[in-house]
Amino acid sequence: MKKANRIISFLLTGALLISAAGCASGGSSASNSAAGQSKPAANAEKTKITFWTFHTNAEKDFMASLGEKYKKVNPNVEIVYQNFPEADYMGSKLTTAFAAGSGPDVFVMSPGDFLKYANSGVAMDLTSYYTDEMKKDFLPSSLQAVTVDNKIMGIPFETELLGLYYNKDMFKAANLNPPKTWSELEADTKALTKNKIAGLLVEPSKGYYQNFTWYPFLWQTGSNVIDTEKKTGTFEGAGTEKALKLWGDLIKAGAPQKLSIPLTNDIALLGEGQAAMQVCGTWAVASLEQKYPKTNIGLVPLPVPDGGKAATCAGGWKMLVNGKSKNADAAAKFAMWAFAENVDIPLEWCTKVKFAYSPRTSVVQAGKDIYSKGLRNVFTNEIYSSAIGEPRYPAEVVNAVGDALQSVMFSNGDPKAEAKTANDKINEFLKTYKGSL
Amino acid sequence: MKAQSVIPEREEPKKKKFNFYSKNTRENIFAYCMLAPDVIGLAVFFFLPVIIALYTSFHSWNVLEPMQFIGLDNYKAMLSDTQWWGSVRTTLLYSVMFVPMVFCFSLLMAIFVNSIPGKAQQLFRTLFFIPYAISTVVASLIWRFILDPQRGFLNEIFGLFGISPQGFLGSTKQALFCIALVSAWMLIGYYCIIFLSALKDIPISYYEAAKLDGANAFHIFTNITFPLLKEVSTFVLVVTTIASFQVFDLIKILTNGGPSEATNVSVYYIYQNAFEFMKVGYSSALAFVLFLIIFVMSLFQLKLTKGETNV
Repeated sequence: MKKANRIISFLLTGALLISAAGCASGGSSASNSAAGQSKPAANAEKTKITFWTFHTNAEKDFMASLGEKYKKVNPNVEIVYQNFPEADYMGSKLTTAFAAGSGPDVFVMSPGDFLKYANSGVAMDLTSYYTDEMKKDFLPSSLQAVTVDNKIMGIPFETELLGLYYNKDMFKAANLNPPKTWSELEADTKALTKNKIAGLLVEPSKGYYQNFTWYPFLWQTGSNVIDTEKKTGTFEGAGTEKALKLWGDLIKAGAPQKLSIPLTNDIALLGEGQAAMQVCGTWAVASLEQKYPKTNIGLVPLPVPDGGKAATCAGGWKMLVNGKSKNADAAAKFAMWAFAENVDIPLEWCTKVKFAYSPRTSVVQAGKDIYSKGLRNVFTNEIYSSAIGEPRYPAEVVNAVGDALQSVMFSNGDPKAEAKTANDKINEFLKTYKGSL
Repeated sequence: MKAQSVIPEREEPKKKKFNFYSKNTRENIFAYCMLAPDVIGLAVFFFLPVIIALYTSFHSWNVLEPMQFIGLDNYKAMLSDTQWWGSVRTTLLYSVMFVPMVFCFSLLMAIFVNSIPGKAQQLFRTLFFIPYAISTVVASLIWRFILDPQRGFLNEIFGLFGISPQGFLGSTKQALFCIALVSAWMLIGYYCIIFLSALKDIPISYYEAAKLDGANAFHIFTNITFPLLKEVSTFVLVVTTIASFQVFDLIKILTNGGPSEATNVSVYYIYQNAFEFMKVGYSSALAFVLFLIIFVMSLFQLKLTKGETNV
C-alpha cells in the first residue's frame, strides 16, 4: 500500500510538472503567434499581423471586420485582431507585451500616451508610406499631432470634440436655458441638483480623461500648461487659477465626487435621466440615438468665462505600427490601407459605428450629409471651429495637472498655490526631459 | 623491533557506498521530488523575479527601450519624493484602521460562533466565511454600488434615520476608511475560522475551573482565552499587517488612488510609476524599500509579542 501510494505520488508530481511545462510552452507559442512573429504557415505562406485595440460592442466588431476586408485586397496577409478592456489595455497589457518582445504589430494609442511610443522608437516612422496626395488629404493639425522630429509616426483616424449635453425636459421644468457662461453653468448645476439627480457630471477621477475634459476650460482663459517651443511650464497665472477654481466650484455646486460608472465618457447616466448636464464627446451621439432615444437630450458648446473665447478639445486615438516587428512593412501597409488610403472604412467608423470627425477632407466630404443630422449639426456648426488638438504631454505633466485639479476639487486646495506647485513640478520635470512634446 | 602502540588504532568508519536501492536513499529522493514542484515554483515565480527586480532597481528602464545602469540614483530620488512618503503615510494610516478592525472583529466573531451550540455553529461559520470566497472584483463592484453617494444603498438607509448623504469613496476623509472596511469585510471570515480552531484547542476544564472560582466572562476572556490565543493572535497580527501594506486591487477598482490622493497607498504608487509613468527601475527601487519597511515592522511585531503563554 505504501509503495502504491509512492507510485501514485510520483505520477501526480510528474503530471504536475509536465502540465506546468506544457502551459509555459503553450503560452509562449500563443504569444509568438500573437506577436505575428511566427513563421508563416507552411501551406499558405501567410503573414500574420496582430492588431490590438480596447474597443467593445459595435466598435470592436468594426475593428475585427477589417481583417476580412483586407483579405480581399491582400490574401497573403492574415489580420489577427484582439481587444482588451480599456483599463488593462492602457495599464499593463501593452507595456508588458512590448517588454516581452511580443507587442502587437498594429495598435491604437491615445494622444496622451503617443509620445511614449514615439520617443522610445516603438512607433514606426510612416513618412515614406504617406503619398503627397494623402498628406494633402489630412488636416495639417492632425498630421502635426503624430509628427515627431519631422517624422510621421502614426495615422490619425478620428477627431472627437467635447460639448455640453443637457436634459431638455429638466431644463424646461426648471425654467432654465442651457448655460453659455461659467457663472450660468455653476448656477444651473446648483439649481438642477436634486436628491438623486446630479446637476452636472464632470470627470471626478484623476487621469488623462479628466485632464482632456478640463483643458478646454483652461484654454478659454487664454492659458496653457506648457509652452512647447520654449519647453517651459506656463501653468501659473490668473487664467489657470480661474479654471481650477471653476471645477472646485462645480463640485461644491453639486457635481458628484464619485460615480457608479468608471468614467464620464459613458453617457449612460445622462441617458437614463440621472443627470441634468454632462461634459462629453462626439462619441456619445450614436450611443444616445441607439440606447436612449426617448430621453430628450440637447447639446451646446462648452460655456465660456466672461471675456473668454470658445474652446473645445479635439481628441481622438491614433493608429500606430510597431516598428520593431518583423512584419512592420506588412503591418504599415495594412494600417495605411485602412485609414489613410481607403475612404469607406474611416467614413463608416466616423458616421455609422460612432460619431467623430475624420481628419481627412475626402472622408468629411463623402459624409457631409451625416454631419448635419441631429446633435451632429451642433458639433459641426457651433463647436468644430473652436477645436484645439488634445495635447500629448508626458505622464509626469498629466499627473502634476491632475494633482492640482484634485486638490482644488476635493481638498479645498487654493488654486493659486496648487497652480504654482504643479508648475514647479512641470518645470522640474522638463529640465531633464529629452523627448519631444 | 617496532614498539607496538598501546592505544588501539581507531578504525576509520567505513564509507557508506551510495546505494540507490537503499530505503534511506529512496525515501530522500521521494521527499525531494515531493518538494520539487513547490521549490521550483517558488524559485521561478518568486525568487527569480525578486532578483531581477533588485537588478532593475539600479537601472533606468521605461520598458520600451534598453535598461541604463544608474547605480543608486533611484534610491536617492526616492528620498526626496514627497509623493512616495505621502503614500507610505497613507498606507500606515490604512494599516492602523484595517488591522485592529480585522483582529477584533474576527476574534469576537470566533468567540460568538464558538458559543453557538449544535449544528447552528456550522451554519454561522459558513455564513461568516462567504465574503472571503467572493472575488475581489465582484466584492468591489458590489460595494461601489452600496457606497454610491447618489443612489447607494447605504445612503438610503442613512436617509431613513435622518443622516445626511455621505461622500464615502468620493470624500477625502472617508475614502480610506471605506477601503479598509471593504477589505476587512472580505477577510474577517477567514481569520474568524483561524481563531475558532484555536479556541477549540483550549481545554474546557480551564473554563469550568474558572467558573467554579467565580470568574465572570470578562475575567475568563482576559485570563484564559486571550492569553492562550497568543500564538494565533501573533500570526493574525503579523499577516494582517503585511496584507495591509500590500493593499492594491480594491484601490485600483474603487478609487484609483483618489480622491485627491486620499487613497494613494504605496503599492498603488509603485504601480503608477511602473505602468503610467513607465519608470520601472524607480518602481522596483520603491518596491524593495517597501519590502524592507514591511520586514522591519514584522520583526518589531514579533518582538513585541514574544514571551511565554501564561494562564
